[in-house]
Amino acid sequence: MKSFLASSIMVVLLSVSLYSQEEYIDTVKIPVQDQLDQLKSNDESVNEILLDMKSYIDLARKLKFSGYMQTQYQVSDGIGNGAYPIGAFAGGAFPTSVGSRFQVRRGRLKVQYENDLTFSQYVLQFDVTQNGLGIKDAYINIKDPWVKSWNFKTGVFDRPFGFEVAYSSNMRETPERSRLAQTLFPGERELGAQIEFAPELGDWTNYNLKLGVFNGVLPNSNENDNRKDIIGRVGAILPFDELNFAVDGGISIYQGTVRNTSKFAYTFNELQKQFTVDSTATNAGKNYERQYIGVDGQIIYDIPSLGGISIRGEYITGTQPGTSSSNSFYNPATIQALDIPGGKTKSQIEATSLYQRKFYGFYVSLLQNIGTKHQLLLRYDVLDPNTKVSGSEIGTAGKATTIADLKYSTFGVGYLFHLDDNVKFTFYYEFVSNETVNSAATNAALVPFKSDVKDNVFTFRTQYRFPF
Amino acid sequence: MKKIIATLLLMTFSSSMFAADVITVKGSDTMVILAQRWAELYMKKNPNVTIQVTGGGSGTGISALINGTTDICNASRPMKPAEKQKLKLRFSTLGVEIKTAKDGIALYVNEKNPVKTLTLAQVKDIYTGKITNWKEVGGNDSRIILYSRENNSGTYVYFKENVLDDEDYSPSCQNMPGTAALVNAVAKDANGIGYGGSAYAKGINEIAVKSDASSEAFLPNAQNVKEGKYPITRFLFMYVKSKPTGAMKEYIDWILSDEGQIVVSKVGYFPLR
Repeated sequence: MKSFLASSIMVVLLSVSLYSQEEYIDTVKIPVQDQLDQLKSNDESVNEILLDMKSYIDLARKLKFSGYMQTQYQVSDGIGNGAYPIGAFAGGAFPTSVGSRFQVRRGRLKVQYENDLTFSQYVLQFDVTQNGLGIKDAYINIKDPWVKSWNFKTGVFDRPFGFEVAYSSNMRETPERSRLAQTLFPGERELGAQIEFAPELGDWTNYNLKLGVFNGVLPNSNENDNRKDIIGRVGAILPFDELNFAVDGGISIYQGTVRNTSKFAYTFNELQKQFTVDSTATNAGKNYERQYIGVDGQIIYDIPSLGGISIRGEYITGTQPGTSSSNSFYNPATIQALDIPGGKTKSQIEATSLYQRKFYGFYVSLLQNIGTKHQLLLRYDVLDPNTKVSGSEIGTAGKATTIADLKYSTFGVGYLFHLDDNVKFTFYYEFVSNETVNSAATNAALVPFKSDVKDNVFTFRTQYRFPF
Repeated sequence: MKKIIATLLLMTFSSSMFAADVITVKGSDTMVILAQRWAELYMKKNPNVTIQVTGGGSGTGISALINGTTDICNASRPMKPAEKQKLKLRFSTLGVEIKTAKDGIALYVNEKNPVKTLTLAQVKDIYTGKITNWKEVGGNDSRIILYSRENNSGTYVYFKENVLDDEDYSPSCQNMPGTAALVNAVAKDANGIGYGGSAYAKGINEIAVKSDASSEAFLPNAQNVKEGKYPITRFLFMYVKSKPTGAMKEYIDWILSDEGQIVVSKVGYFPLR
């Protein structure tokens, strides 16, 4: 009886236990299934969100922002004055009575939209400094979709002449371009259209060509005549990889004209060492040549255990139309404002008259890399804006020569430290030498140049850029 | 003044001379596993050398080389002329290209996909969007789902230039951030197709590729890649700014040695010799 009772109790307990376990398994099974369904649903939701986000990511990949800022402290061995400019080619003339200054030299922000499928590109670049906001680049670039070697560019962009004009300020080792480049190509950019041949594959990858048609004025000016200027460069690169050595270079041309707003056109008579004037009435509105030809070259050699060295140079010669007091190009848009109808004073006539000068200029620079962070730099540049006259011939009474005929040479020495891929420090001292004029010169503007004026400039620059 | 200049020069030279014991390596995602294995093994043998390896894609690695933020750039494609020009402007050097291994770019399909072979022309037509259904190449009647890499990937560029003949990828391509992600996507997608280094081909089928309709089909295995039979074969590169010296030279020499090349095979790529 006892054993029967015990067996019965065991059966009951076992049944209860089994029932409870089944019930437990059911209660566990249902939530797990729910959770799996929930996870699957979540997975689909995440996928939908990711697909939605993908469209934004694709847009972000096409829309690129980049920029750089250059702040600097400069000090000169002279003091800004009304008699002659200091630092005019080192970031802008020092104001009167000022011998040192802080500047935001460049504050660039570039917005770029690139469509990989149509090979088109939209570029807008702003420049913000203490002087305000300006537009530097505004262009559209379209790559040919067939052989992908040709580009068509239109808008405001760098003139395709030589090396230095198109060499970005954030990459350039010297704080500013040479006096030559700044005189011939103020603002570097121009309004126009250009074709470029720059193959990425095949046998022609070491050759390139740029040819463009431009208004021939300043980047921020409107066209003022019906003639367009042609600018072009053809270049080649010769790499000798086994020798760690490369040579590259190019030839450039500028074939343009400017419109004379006055009837006075001066040319320099080499025999008489003076300007002579042609005042035929039909000279007003007539176009005068603005023509340059240039060669540029670069040699690089990678010195084992030290770093790469490069020697770079550029030589440009040609005819520059200017004014009596300026050897920058004759810009009718600026001159016209001075061209007062009716009687003019002598200074007004001089300011609006066109002066043709034969010029030449060059620069040579040597850059030595030391490791990845340090660079040492030497540069020598020369601009002779009037090759037909020199030294004491300038300033002789009655010859009409002015400060615009003065030859300048500049020797610069610098050190660059790249803190990281964003920050670069530049220390640069430039010794500026001017041609000394006739000791009997009476022209007030020329009098200070009877000796070398004090206009050397030291620059300490900090640059931050993002991304590369 | 002379003392100051001498001190500055000494600091300048010394910092550049002693910087080589830490070697940074950046670039190709295809090569990242290989580069990590090389680094691990080399550091075990040379505890005084630290090698830091990161991926990001060949384009990212080349930018880092140009910026001076990496010592070695891994790239699964050659540098472009524009990139060489940037390097030249920044460092006055041409860069040094080192071939480190061979790779067959494998075409991945899902394990359930019955398609086993494709011609190069079919691959091109699939990825340019001319062939959109698997039945056109002997498979099921279902839409082909294209998986590709992002445009900073060397594999993306190589595939575009050498398989698509520089034509554009179909706009329907889904771009994946890395080869592992791409393989994972194809493994889950019965109608998917992707491409990448053969070292990654796990959990999916590899397609045997024919140069043309009349030729034999080859899988991207060691023998076929080594003998040049597999038609989508490329080199895997390292780029350095200048001719390597010191610790970096020793490391690269080791990679090119038999010991380094054994690692290439173990990871799933193909040694140079």
